[in-house]
Amino acid sequence: MDAGIEQHLAAGRHARAFDLVVPAYKDRVFRLAYSILKDRAAAEDAAQETFVRVWKALPGFDGRASLGTWIYAITRNTCLMELRRRRPTVSFDDPDSTEAQHAAASVATGPAADPEHDNLLRLLETLPHNQQEAVRLFYLEDRSYDAVAEQLGMPLGTVKNLLHRARKRLMELARPDEVKAA
Amino acid sequence: MNDPTLIGPCADYEHDLVELHDGALPPERAGIVRLHVTQCARCRDWAQAFASLDTGLAAAMPRVGLSADFEARLQERLAAPSRPTARGDRLGRLELEREHDALLAALRRGARRNALLGAIGSATAAACVFVAARDLLRETSGLLATVPGSTEPWMMFSVVGVAVAIAGLAWSAVRGALPLPGLAR
Repeated sequence: MDAGIEQHLAAGRHARAFDLVVPAYKDRVFRLAYSILKDRAAAEDAAQETFVRVWKALPGFDGRASLGTWIYAITRNTCLMELRRRRPTVSFDDPDSTEAQHAAASVATGPAADPEHDNLLRLLETLPHNQQEAVRLFYLEDRSYDAVAEQLGMPLGTVKNLLHRARKRLMELARPDEVKAA
Repeated sequence: MNDPTLIGPCADYEHDLVELHDGALPPERAGIVRLHVTQCARCRDWAQAFASLDTGLAAAMPRVGLSADFEARLQERLAAPSRPTARGDRLGRLELEREHDALLAALRRGARRNALLGAIGSATAAACVFVAARDLLRETSGLLATVPGSTEPWMMFSVVGVAVAIAGLAWSAVRGALPLPGLAR
């Protein structure tokens, strides 16, 4: 997939390369944006913005990192700018911050139809932001560690650790018996 | 009651149980862990609780996808890169209005400055010509009086003054320095 794109890039055919980039990456860029922004419309806007930036920067892509790594880095930066624009004073790294929780709630998708699912998503919101992102992306990407690692720009081991800690904490919080009774 | 989420699995197997569930454990290790699970109730209970959470999370995650017109909108945006997104329309409009107002204010400032400079320039030029003409007329008044049918010196003086004023206005108009009504809003 990337080989064709890279051939066009090497030959300086940036427009043709871009024509292949969008269909190849749009869904993963969108899911990554969604895992960070937690809002479908905002994620779609961020995906649009990402590809506009990719289009502008493509002639300068030097191939030091893989194309995917580069595109996902642009996506994450675009999303972080959007988060900063929304709440410039909130630290999302502090899950205990009341402001962070309110901000998270304000951008979260509406409640799931199933109360059990709703409860799980609410518990997920209480985890540190990087764990939330990893968990969301892991399930959006059909449980692929590799996809999460590539999109979040983290080593595989770090992703496994994040996911492990996050889900272990969720198990403690959810107590399956109570969840079933809810 | 023995809650597997609180007791936890055997420490040596915790990560392996998760990776076994996620299908990420190498086959040789997977066999060992599966055998252990058949023999250890704690690990078995914990693995079941974990599987339950995993199923719940997978089901709870919203199935989101891009709009069908995503690529069409992107192409439209790339064709007009300055166009704001739907969400940014209001902000974009405000920004454009601010830019427009700033541009008009700059134009008005420029026009005022040009008009002032034009007026000063015209007045200075008129004063210089006025002084020069006065001296010239004073020196040549004797000669002019001897020419039959010649105009009075004061008329010459007025004609020169009017000519200078017209020249000054023309110069200001050419430079666009006159505060024309079209620029006022």
